[in-house]
Amino acid sequence: MSAVEVTHVTKTFGSVKAVDDVSFSIEKGELFGLLGPNGAGKTTAIRCMLDIFKPDSGSVSILGGPMDEAKKDHIGYMPEERGLYQDITLERCLAYLGALKGLSPSQVKESSETYLERFDLAAHKTKKVKELSKGMQQKAQIIATLLHKPDLLIVDEPFSGLDPINTQLVKDLLLQQHQQGVTIILCSHQMNLVEELCDRIALIDHGRTLLYGDLQEIRRKFSGHAVIVDTLDSLPSLPGVEQVDKFNGSLKLTLSPSALPQNILRELVENNINLDGFRIAIPTLDEIFIRVVKDESR
Amino acid sequence: MNKTWQVALHEYQRHVLTRRFLFGLFSVPFFMVILVGLIFLIISMNNNTTPLGYVDRSGLLAHPLPAPQVKLPDKPTPFRAFSDEATARQALQAGEIQGYYVIPADYLAAGRLQVVFTKAIKSVPRQQFYHFLEINLLANVESSISTRLIAGDEIIARSLDGSREMSSRNGWFGLFLPIIAAIGFIIAMFTSGGYLMQAVVEEKENRTMEVILTSISPNQFMTGKIFADICIGLTQIFAWLVFIIVGIRIASSSISFLQGIQVSPQLLILFVVILMPTFVMVSAFMALIGATVSEAREGQQMISLVSLPIWIPYMLIGLIIGNPNSPVAVTLSMLPLTSSLTMLIRQGVTILPAWQIALSSIISVVGAVFAIWLAGRAFRLGMLRYGKRLTWREIFSRRGGTA
Repeated sequence: MSAVEVTHVTKTFGSVKAVDDVSFSIEKGELFGLLGPNGAGKTTAIRCMLDIFKPDSGSVSILGGPMDEAKKDHIGYMPEERGLYQDITLERCLAYLGALKGLSPSQVKESSETYLERFDLAAHKTKKVKELSKGMQQKAQIIATLLHKPDLLIVDEPFSGLDPINTQLVKDLLLQQHQQGVTIILCSHQMNLVEELCDRIALIDHGRTLLYGDLQEIRRKFSGHAVIVDTLDSLPSLPGVEQVDKFNGSLKLTLSPSALPQNILRELVENNINLDGFRIAIPTLDEIFIRVVKDESR
Repeated sequence: MNKTWQVALHEYQRHVLTRRFLFGLFSVPFFMVILVGLIFLIISMNNNTTPLGYVDRSGLLAHPLPAPQVKLPDKPTPFRAFSDEATARQALQAGEIQGYYVIPADYLAAGRLQVVFTKAIKSVPRQQFYHFLEINLLANVESSISTRLIAGDEIIARSLDGSREMSSRNGWFGLFLPIIAAIGFIIAMFTSGGYLMQAVVEEKENRTMEVILTSISPNQFMTGKIFADICIGLTQIFAWLVFIIVGIRIASSSISFLQGIQVSPQLLILFVVILMPTFVMVSAFMALIGATVSEAREGQQMISLVSLPIWIPYMLIGLIIGNPNSPVAVTLSMLPLTSSLTMLIRQGVTILPAWQIALSSIISVVGAVFAIWLAGRAFRLGMLRYGKRLTWREIFSRRGGTA
């Protein structure tokens, strides 16, 4: 069953098409990556999902149907730019945001204390939000998003401003939520983390979906029929190899369309090449991202 | 608790429990105390307790009744009789008296007095001497009648249907009380409205609004905010009223004109049927400004678009008091933003026709509903617009309000 179903959604502001015929589906319990460069239309797509903006055309189904007020209590949204009241204490800020999600004061207290402990913020709860460091505010924002135990979690750049320890903490938290069956939409520029956490992604640019599907499938699709060879030896001319390039301290062998990687490996062994490593050249998500966005710009 | 109430409660606590608000709350009474103190000071400067002499050639004050008692802040001036003008003049030159009156033999017939002074006699001792003369002129009249004669008549103007009336006894206080009340109300309205506008701009600026709107609908959010804004304003007004009532209670024991103060029921009716809808309207406009501008400073500039019409009657106060039923006064009474102050100024000087109160109230309510609708529309369009101002054309466009 789909937790989120975005079907041919278009949203225009004046003459700018912020979202142009975007479609994707997110399964219940899935950890889904929504990617795109700045101004690609991700935030507008999310706002359309959350019914903050009405799409000009297309439809959105969320948690089994159109968005309504009752569903808001089952959704946790953390925007890219932090949205906390700066001039009140952290404790009061969480109490208010929790209450708006339908939690009773005792539920807010219980839930916030658990997360404040976990995020090492318990000692700072009586401080005004503006007195907290950027990293602390980031963690506070995450707590505000999780307080009401949402079924759908939408987090935009959750790792921004966090040190490696806290990045790991948030990563673990997202994985824990994922294991508990929470559907998560992760928007991030940190591709290594998206690769690590997400199974499926959608890449949006200029309001359009450029890539959508299983992450491994996408990477394979962009592999470009090449292999990476780690060796200190010089390579002889090999049948089926069209080009040899240096690549991050290794050698990247671009193969002819009919060549098979296993035949190349056999050739290398038969030529007594000392191999430290041999693998299919599957590009990282970062590389795919850059390549697709650049191609789109052209 | 309903989410609208949560928003209202949060807004109320966020603004009322701040030093800025408490300063505003107590600074007005504080400055009023200073002002009243200054008035007392000025009045007391009109006192002069140096005796005032008189030379009575008419025989009126041969066996004088004592002068009527004076009330604070006035101080009693002793009167000293002189047998002839030469002695009185000597006393004046010696500084024993501040001046003297000569009551000629034909005073009862001619009603003419002479006064001699080196420095003008101030109004308070002068008035006391006239009362002294009056009480002695009426010495043979029954005391209850003489007292009433000195107090003067109370003229009550009553409307044809008998539902409304105004008394000449209210004097200047009756005229200015509604105006002072309206000004206090307007100050409270704009103070709390300013908080509302600033809160909306801040929520846009720091992106809190984006988080809030994933929990609550824009309408609930705006309703909660407007309700909180009105409660903040009413808290301010209530605190000032308590202060004024306590102040009047304390001061009335020594200041005579404060003893008879009565608040006209019509004034209370005007507050409910005209000023409250105006308050809602102003709050909605403040929310609208907050939603349309991109920064607080820009919002402050736009507030004048709302505040200017409110203060127009104040600029025309002379015209309205001079001719409270003129077409200008009646027109201003009907226009949504100008009606509150105009009606309260007129209330002090004339009997307001019931139809005018009813029509002005209906227009104010319709104006408030329109302002809420407009604010809702602007709010939905401008709530997540950063760094770019919303235009009126966008608000009124067919697609307005569908963000």
